[in-house]
Amino acid sequence: MYGTLALSHRALDELSEAAGRGTIEELRRLARPLEGLRVLNLSVTGFGTGTAELLSSSVPLLTDLGLDCHWQVVRGSEESSHAVREMYRALGGHFTTWTPEMTQAWQRYVELNAGLLTEPFDVVIMHDLQPAAIRSHVGDDRGAKWLLHSHLDLSSAQEDVWLLLRSHVERYDAAIFEAPSFVRRDLSIPVHIIPPAIDPNSARNMPLPADVIQSVLAQYGIDANRPILLQISPCDAESDLVGAVDCACELRDRFPDLQLVLLLTTEPQDPVGRQCFDDLSRRCQDDAAVFVVQVGTKVGNVEVNVFQRAASVVMQRGLRRGYGLWLSDALWKERPVVAGGAPGLREQVVHGETGLIAESPQDFVKHVARLLSDPDFAAELGRKGRARVAERFLITRYLRDYLQVLGGLNRG
Amino acid sequence: MLTLVPTNPKAIEDYRTVIGDTRLQELRDLAAPLQGARVLHVNATAFGGGVAEILATLVPLMNDLGLHAEWQVIKGADEFFNITKAMHNSLQGMYFDWAPSARDTWLRYNQMNADLFDEDYDYVIIHDPQPAAVLGFVEERTGRRAGKWVWRCHIDLTDAQAEVWDLLRPHVEKYDGAIFTLEGFVKEDLRGPEIFVIPPAIDPLSPKNLPLPEETIHEILRRYGVDPARPMITQISRFDPWKDPLGVIDMYRIVKREFPELQLVMIASMASDDPEGWAWYERTVRRAGEDFDVHVLTNLNGVGNIEVNAFQRAARVVVQKSTREGFGLVVSEALWKGRPVVGGNVGGIPLQIRQGETGYLVSSTDECAERVAELLREPSRANAMGARGVEHVREHFLTTRYLRDYLRIFHALDGRQPAAEFPVQAKAGR
Repeated sequence: MYGTLALSHRALDELSEAAGRGTIEELRRLARPLEGLRVLNLSVTGFGTGTAELLSSSVPLLTDLGLDCHWQVVRGSEESSHAVREMYRALGGHFTTWTPEMTQAWQRYVELNAGLLTEPFDVVIMHDLQPAAIRSHVGDDRGAKWLLHSHLDLSSAQEDVWLLLRSHVERYDAAIFEAPSFVRRDLSIPVHIIPPAIDPNSARNMPLPADVIQSVLAQYGIDANRPILLQISPCDAESDLVGAVDCACELRDRFPDLQLVLLLTTEPQDPVGRQCFDDLSRRCQDDAAVFVVQVGTKVGNVEVNVFQRAASVVMQRGLRRGYGLWLSDALWKERPVVAGGAPGLREQVVHGETGLIAESPQDFVKHVARLLSDPDFAAELGRKGRARVAERFLITRYLRDYLQVLGGLNRG
Repeated sequence: MLTLVPTNPKAIEDYRTVIGDTRLQELRDLAAPLQGARVLHVNATAFGGGVAEILATLVPLMNDLGLHAEWQVIKGADEFFNITKAMHNSLQGMYFDWAPSARDTWLRYNQMNADLFDEDYDYVIIHDPQPAAVLGFVEERTGRRAGKWVWRCHIDLTDAQAEVWDLLRPHVEKYDGAIFTLEGFVKEDLRGPEIFVIPPAIDPLSPKNLPLPEETIHEILRRYGVDPARPMITQISRFDPWKDPLGVIDMYRIVKREFPELQLVMIASMASDDPEGWAWYERTVRRAGEDFDVHVLTNLNGVGNIEVNAFQRAARVVVQKSTREGFGLVVSEALWKGRPVVGGNVGGIPLQIRQGETGYLVSSTDECAERVAELLREPSRANAMGARGVEHVREHFLTTRYLRDYLRIFHALDGRQPAAEFPVQAKAGR
């Protein structure tokens, strides 16, 4: 048996305020033919990732829609953990030295997990590539449909590692990617695009009274009455934390009151990450207007919510891979954003409409300055940003896409 | 230089409304002779963990009082941190196969960090075993000792694996002072440093403890699927055998017979690299089964400081059903929010729970269920206990008391404060 997770009950109707009555009715209509469909979602981890967050919202909601929807996590082992982690990195485009021993450890991991699939399901949705080869170990006699949902940008996956997986992925009935640019061109199975989404009803997006926001900020030494430039990101090289401090320092010539808040979502994971934190610490030494909120796992949804609501401008540098959905959370709160030009960020930000895209460090300075000096423009971007999120990045849209894909499978 | 950790500023004035004029003045008086004193705190990580949390408050408050305090972390690679993690575990009683190469690695990184140590301080506080050998190497290199050096031990050494403690002990014995969390944690065979005891404390102004409007509390509960209109009890702890998560669910089931509306919220602080924690998480979820009035939440799905704050405030009774405990500071967090606590009679919990006054100490699941039910039956008594709990914490377990203890230790190390007047539980003349 795979690993169990605790899920709470959700009622779809709670979302009618954010998404509109019509959307809820459409979902119910789409779900009707799928009632009782036994769906198993499988992932590598149940926590701390964007995938886990999506599943913890979508699985209870699909259950409320009448599907018999489950989410379990595959089993790891000490032997395989290194190979599984390195495979993830390689698929995301980080180079890794892949050895025959790692292939063997990975194969045993797949076999072990294939043996754990004992219950009957109509649809199995695999949310991670590493255990995807389970599919090849399970015969077709049970009649289940298999979907591969890749939450990674596979366009720059390391070739030798991808080739280990490709033939297994080809045996799926269809694949789902988050953006067209994330898709592998060398796949022949049908591909659907389902962008990720935010849950407007999560604690991260709930409304908060101004005095709560103010007192939380005060505890970090941040002045709610002065402008705040916020970046939420992991502590890694991609997040360009030192660049963020440089940007704020340059801006302070024109906006002497400006405070920079860097909210680090994860602890440094490796020597490179530790070096980044070291560099950041040195760069912002004695700078009383840079606030590094670095408690990682202790800062929860409500605190992130507080920081986003308090921000004058939300910035997202770097991020070459993945989606960077923090940005949609900020847009939902009508925050003006300045984002780097990575594909995932471009999906969320339309330059000049729902935020600004910066192609260079100079652009970041220029765009943030513009938003700080033109509050009307900033507010307009924020409003349009929320409207775009409402249309494209709410969990209800994600559910609709899913119901359509599942409906299509069923007919096929 | 080691890596300097940036801290966000704090003002001691902000604590006036919480602790009152007298206690605030006492801090200023203690700090007066220490103006400009250079204080350095050194530990292994700027992230997570109780030590980092304490330093993030302590260091800016020392600065605000006129001292010149810094927080630095040592440098190390994975080979070092893997060893110090094992060392930490074995000092807490877990067996570790201690090879000579592990010892050499530990010493090599300590020496490397000592070589980066290039300034003089009046007081250097080295936290926990990871960097404990730095002092020896600094002295070896410079041929002298600048300032007073204190080893601050945050862990319970009672069941420490002998060979690991024997490796550490000679390094610790070089220090001028050693601070432990509880008197019971002090190793009997430690000779040399003056011994001090400082129990941990909570920061009343941190997001985990600051007051929240009732509407916000209810809204947070709803967002996690908990009904604010029905009674709720909570335990906030790691999932491991010593916090007895399965016993908590059994206890809840007993109480639920009398209070069918009851909800249980269990919030675990998890580390992604802790397979044992995951195993216990899963056992807990299975024990909860299909009772959706049991909510199992973790930090890894976004339940952070403010959520914990809200759940503690909303709980009718807070439970800490430990069978083994270090200090169990989460008890003080709950008491500070005016909630009575029913907790295991172990570790530092009896210091915080005064039997029948601020809560109940229990030793079995049945006893725990009995006391929780009693407090649910009599809300006014529960509230009165909670109110006494607030005063108990104000007196003993706030971060300002913790700060005061440090200032007193600085004075004691310099011989400015006669031992007789020294209110920290010092064991002189050992």
